[in-house]
Amino acid sequence: MAENELQTALKQLHQALNAANPSTAPALLSRAKLALLKLNALIPGPRTPQAHLLLARETLELGALISIRLQDAEGFERYFQQLQPFYSLPQQILAREKSNSSKITGLYLLLLLSQGDYAGFHTLLETLELAAAQAGKGGLEEDQYIQYPIKLEQALMEGSYDRVWGATKRERVPSPEFGVFSQSIIGTIRAEIASCSEKAYASIPISDAKSLLFLDSEGSVVSFAKERGWVARDGRLYFPQQNAESANAANDILVTSGTVIENTLGYARELETIV
Amino acid sequence: MTDSMEGVVKDESQSQPKEENVHEKTVSDIKFNFTLLERAVAQFDARYTLRALRSISSLRKRLSGEIIAESIISTYPPNNGTAQVLLRATGLDGDELTQIARRISSTSTGSTKQEKKEPLPEIDVYLAILAQVLLYDGKNYKIGAEFSKALVGRVRDLNRRTLDSLAAKAYFYYSLFYEALDPKPPSKQSPLISIRGTLLAALRSAVLRKDSDTQASVTTLLLRNYLSTADITQADLLVAQTQFPEAATNNQVARYLYYLGRIRAIQLSYTEAHDHLVSATRKSPNSAVATGFYQQSTKLLVVVELLMGDIPDRALFSQSRLERGLEPYFYLVQAVRVGDLQGFLKIVQQNSPTFHRDGTYTLILRLRQNVIKTGIRMLSLSYSRISLRDICIRLGLDSEESAEYIVAKAIRDGVIEASIDHEKGYMQTKQAGDIYATREPGEAFHDRILACLSLHDECVKAMRYPMNQHRLELKNAQEARERERELAKEIQDGDIDEDDAAGEFEGL
Repeated sequence: MAENELQTALKQLHQALNAANPSTAPALLSRAKLALLKLNALIPGPRTPQAHLLLARETLELGALISIRLQDAEGFERYFQQLQPFYSLPQQILAREKSNSSKITGLYLLLLLSQGDYAGFHTLLETLELAAAQAGKGGLEEDQYIQYPIKLEQALMEGSYDRVWGATKRERVPSPEFGVFSQSIIGTIRAEIASCSEKAYASIPISDAKSLLFLDSEGSVVSFAKERGWVARDGRLYFPQQNAESANAANDILVTSGTVIENTLGYARELETIV
Repeated sequence: MTDSMEGVVKDESQSQPKEENVHEKTVSDIKFNFTLLERAVAQFDARYTLRALRSISSLRKRLSGEIIAESIISTYPPNNGTAQVLLRATGLDGDELTQIARRISSTSTGSTKQEKKEPLPEIDVYLAILAQVLLYDGKNYKIGAEFSKALVGRVRDLNRRTLDSLAAKAYFYYSLFYEALDPKPPSKQSPLISIRGTLLAALRSAVLRKDSDTQASVTTLLLRNYLSTADITQADLLVAQTQFPEAATNNQVARYLYYLGRIRAIQLSYTEAHDHLVSATRKSPNSAVATGFYQQSTKLLVVVELLMGDIPDRALFSQSRLERGLEPYFYLVQAVRVGDLQGFLKIVQQNSPTFHRDGTYTLILRLRQNVIKTGIRMLSLSYSRISLRDICIRLGLDSEESAEYIVAKAIRDGVIEASIDHEKGYMQTKQAGDIYATREPGEAFHDRILACLSLHDECVKAMRYPMNQHRLELKNAQEARERERELAKEIQDGDIDEDDAAGEFEGL
């Protein structure tokens, strides 16, 4: 009985996902999860039948995709963790082929990236690398969902922000869910570019800054500049950095002399204990 | 290991008379270790146990089922339960055993035929470890796993402090057996995962019993276990929640540091990883058996150093122990050093199976940005002004825009001292400042001194003093006091003037 209920709930969930109308989904999801609990299939056990495993995985995957649509990062993370035991089941018990595992893992990688959690990103990547090497197929290189965040991270780390910008465009993302993160990633790179420009240029024309920062109009450049505390004069942006640096230098000497004194005293004390 | 063993076996079959000799010698060696163990229990001194354990590696090459069976039968009273279990592990059948038993009773004369006393549990466990070694070398992984499981359970129940270092060894082989069982580790169904519970329980009791040997060994085993299935988060949590015993043996410390370095490298804390790996390579034993560990940790160290933006010394690669194993890494370092992006990608592609096997592939992929950074640094050192287009061509980048962003990032990260002229499209290098005007030399100096001081501290801690030495000192002190009194008397009498006396005092 619970199984039938689950199947109807799943059907409705699919509709909700396709109709781009996810507002009804949370209620449906909790109904589906209740049904799963009744079947005792929310966590895979050694005796859970395969049909139930498939249903459970489908439900959780839908849940994950819907929470992405709803921009609910915490919910997505929860679903991702719940899905892990299913993905680590052996191939003969639960075949990997029809699942969305790489899509959801890719999304999770992207989430970590947009949160700036590089350590978590690489930790997960290491796990994936090992799993792929073991599966013996082409590995991660062929998986477009996983390659996308990897490429993005690479471009971010080496600083080719124009490639990041290109990758976040609508037609370049591997599936619409990935687009959800574009906005936050663009925000990240804009902040990065701004902090780089402060150091690299003395001044720059506003029109160039527009293309540099991927902004739509010169007006938004001016307002962005105000936020960062830059001075816009005669159609150019000036970065107020020199005075800050000299103040820093004076401060530096104070700090340095402090540490030098501290170190020397430390050596004296240690010498005393040795001799 | 197995190769050299086979070689030894062949030698023995060629020279029959010698074989008997080796056989007897081995049995007597094992028996000698029993006396060591007995002494360890009687005097409660773990050093004797360690000596017995150290001999395992030399015994290992000569070990056979008969040898172990002979030592068991001649040590235990007949029909002893433990002896039966141990004999079963040697893999000999009933006939062979009775044969051995008969031989022993015929060689031993009446005088030695006294009542055999019940052997100590230490001896049980020692023989069991020998049986483990035998099973492992004979590739009887399944039987070995079962046997080790029972052994580990027994060691835990016995709860004797004199067993600690033996227990550590037993756990080591226990985990080794499970690692060898199919399906092998990276798979999530590996039986290795199932022993985590046992190991964690062992760790808990080891900590409660202040058993630092087992604690150290089980901690490293757990880390190895987690890393083998790439459960880095769990390994990290384990490190965060436990303390590694300070009294652990050098080899365990080296292992622990290596795993720690690995975890930190994956988490991008390169500085920490570097520290751990440097200590691990320095602490790694010099014997030929440990070359694998030395190579593996050096490989990781090289990659981490590159990731930090440093270039490892050329001399590192010409060490005879490393030369061949580290060849791909040598080319990698060369590519990074000159900032040759195309060459770097080619080397990674060519050697990707090696890097995959060493578990350094993902780390090496992260090096791409370092190659670019080094390339930019080289350009900024050689040109005072260079156009972005040239940078783009030299480094093999996709577009001029990319080059501009990358250079800007390099400036911000402090890789180069330069500025960009956007309208004219070139990078202008600033005059390099005098490094001795910064605090860099002072910091390097401070680091050196810190390292020396900690070395000194560790040396002091590692010193051992002979027993009862303080009595001698007391006697000396007494003599000194007497001399002092005499001196004082002489001064009073006015025979010596003050300066001389002071000189003598300093000598004390």
